Amino acid sequence: MSTQQSRTRLQHPWQLVALREISTKLRDKTFIGSTVFMLIVVMAAVIIPALLAGNDSPDKVAVLDDAGARVVQQADLVNGDDSLEVTRVADRAAAERAVTDGDVAVALLPADNGYVVLGDDEVDSGIGNSLREAAVSLGMFANAAKAGLTPEQLQAGTAVQEQLLNPGPLPEIVANFVNIGLALAFYMTALGFGMMIAQSVVQEKESRVVEILAAAIPIRALLWGKVVGNTVMALAQIVVIAAASLIGLLVTGQADILEVIAPVAGWFVVFFVLGFLALAGLWAVAGSLATRQEDLGSTTLPGQMILMVPFFFSVFAGGTAKTVASFVPIASSMAMPGRMLTEDVPLWQPLVAIALLLLATVLIIRLGARLYERTLLQTGRKLGYREALTLEPS
Amino acid sequence: MLSVAGLTRRFGDHLALDDVTFDVVPGRMTGFVGANGAGKTTTMRIVLGVLAPTAGQALWNGVPLTHEVRRDFGYMPEERGLYPKMKIRDQLVFFGRLHGLDPVRAEERTDKILDRLGLTERAGDMLETLSLGNQQRVQIAAALVHEPIALVLDEPFSGLDPLAVDAMVDLLREEVTPEVPVLFSSHQLELVERLCDDLVVLSRGKVVAAGPVASLAAGSSTTYRLVTDGDAGWLRDVRGITVRDVDGSSGLFDVTEAGQEQLVLQQAMSRGQVLEFGAERVALSDVFREATR
Repeated sequence: MSTQQSRTRLQHPWQLVALREISTKLRDKTFIGSTVFMLIVVMAAVIIPALLAGNDSPDKVAVLDDAGARVVQQADLVNGDDSLEVTRVADRAAAERAVTDGDVAVALLPADNGYVVLGDDEVDSGIGNSLREAAVSLGMFANAAKAGLTPEQLQAGTAVQEQLLNPGPLPEIVANFVNIGLALAFYMTALGFGMMIAQSVVQEKESRVVEILAAAIPIRALLWGKVVGNTVMALAQIVVIAAASLIGLLVTGQADILEVIAPVAGWFVVFFVLGFLALAGLWAVAGSLATRQEDLGSTTLPGQMILMVPFFFSVFAGGTAKTVASFVPIASSMAMPGRMLTEDVPLWQPLVAIALLLLATVLIIRLGARLYERTLLQTGRKLGYREALTLEPS
Repeated sequence: MLSVAGLTRRFGDHLALDDVTFDVVPGRMTGFVGANGAGKTTTMRIVLGVLAPTAGQALWNGVPLTHEVRRDFGYMPEERGLYPKMKIRDQLVFFGRLHGLDPVRAEERTDKILDRLGLTERAGDMLETLSLGNQQRVQIAAALVHEPIALVLDEPFSGLDPLAVDAMVDLLREEVTPEVPVLFSSHQLELVERLCDDLVVLSRGKVVAAGPVASLAAGSSTTYRLVTDGDAGWLRDVRGITVRDVDGSSGLFDVTEAGQEQLVLQQAMSRGQVLEFGAERVALSDVFREATR
């Protein structure tokens, strides 16, 4: 008895289990490999478009004289960045050759009543429009000067501005892209780590170490250790990838997109953690129903469905359906942060969604713990969910 | 002291344990024997809290066992298993800590036991790279690493060669202090006879014999053997004994009247030389067969 009393309980068993899960993951080559792979994909997605955009050298426009060059410069001015460059050629024949050989994008040639834009098989509409606009305004300024008008007088009352009655926080394409990205991040992480939780549980059953564990600590502590350890790793992976893409965005000068994502980032984390926790309990049960790795395909099917259906719903569904999905627990983890990006969502909505998700998380975890305790030591054969629910406590 | 009181366990219609009651006394090794399916593993699982009893309970010093107390027990389940892809030192430290040791102590104990088992060079190897015999050693180390206050070993020696059994027994003797009760089940009766102080015999879920090995064996031991240099046929004429067998110069007899064996010895010495005389030890296997008949 004296030895027993002198023992100090330094750590809760679930903490030890969680630490073991984490250190095992950190040494697992598959895990490290998949993280690096995801990093590379995300970095590529961030950096490659920027590189492609950066390589865009100015389009060359062949001209014969100073008047043509002025039109091109004016067009360049309207476009705002160095998108057009003047190339002088001697005559029409030289201009035609330059266009056919691809040395220049188009040629701007004087014609009877203005200009001709000469293209090979087509004229890029962007270049065509800006040259036309520049030629028109230069021509009109010249005509106006002859009639005694300044350019300002000529342009008075012609300015057109755009105003939106219901401005979204983001341009629609960007918003949809970020929406899918966030939902995908949750989907991939929940699925990937879910399978890892199920595998880690079935490995303990397969290697029979589970009986020693069950004798040493409460089975509930084993479940919590696994759930917490894997949640921490999932969050860490997300953070690493987010940090990498952040650096990528800053380096490539696309930082403005961050201002858009920042307000929902906090919400995303809350929805992510709760949704992940709710599912983690189910994944552990999926592992405890199996007796061998091969059984996981069928025992994890419900978990995969619970993820996949809401994922497609939250990404591809129309407005009303998406609004509904953003309140349904687990689906809300994928739909609500996206909705908050693309539309004006009143504050009560995410709060209600979180309350519902929290409730579902508690219920699922409780049910999961009960099933886990009953099925974990059944090492003889694979069990079904219905059978597990009717099992007596061991 | 570890005890089970009135343990009963049903699996559906099958009564696996029927009112099982016995004590495991500290400092004594208690052998737990019985045919396959007699209920040994079920009893041990209930003691460790891995299985719940239908009725009855397991007690520690008279008080029902709690999770806290069980955490200090050492257990080697019948179905062996540790983490195959974990280094054995990390693994033992993990189990030590799971059983409540602080990190420093867990490492000290692990290194000591690995050294004792001659596995120090393999400390950084994955369990699955070890031979089966060595894996079995690590398994028992996992049951001992936290200096358990009680040990429950389910068939600890099955699958080991005689040398490995000896090494394991030495380790147990060294590690198990006088205040630790040890319960171990085994099919190998000679081993149980050699190691155990007490015996519990289980048959079809019931305790059919329990007590110190010596008294269980002595209880039925009234048979004597005599070997002389002449013919032993005269034994048949001695009163108060029943001759089982006479074969030339040797004979085997049961004493039916107390003290008659002394008379036999005196007669034998007056007739010639006595080469051998003594009580026949009854083999444990006979006790076992008798009890489970």
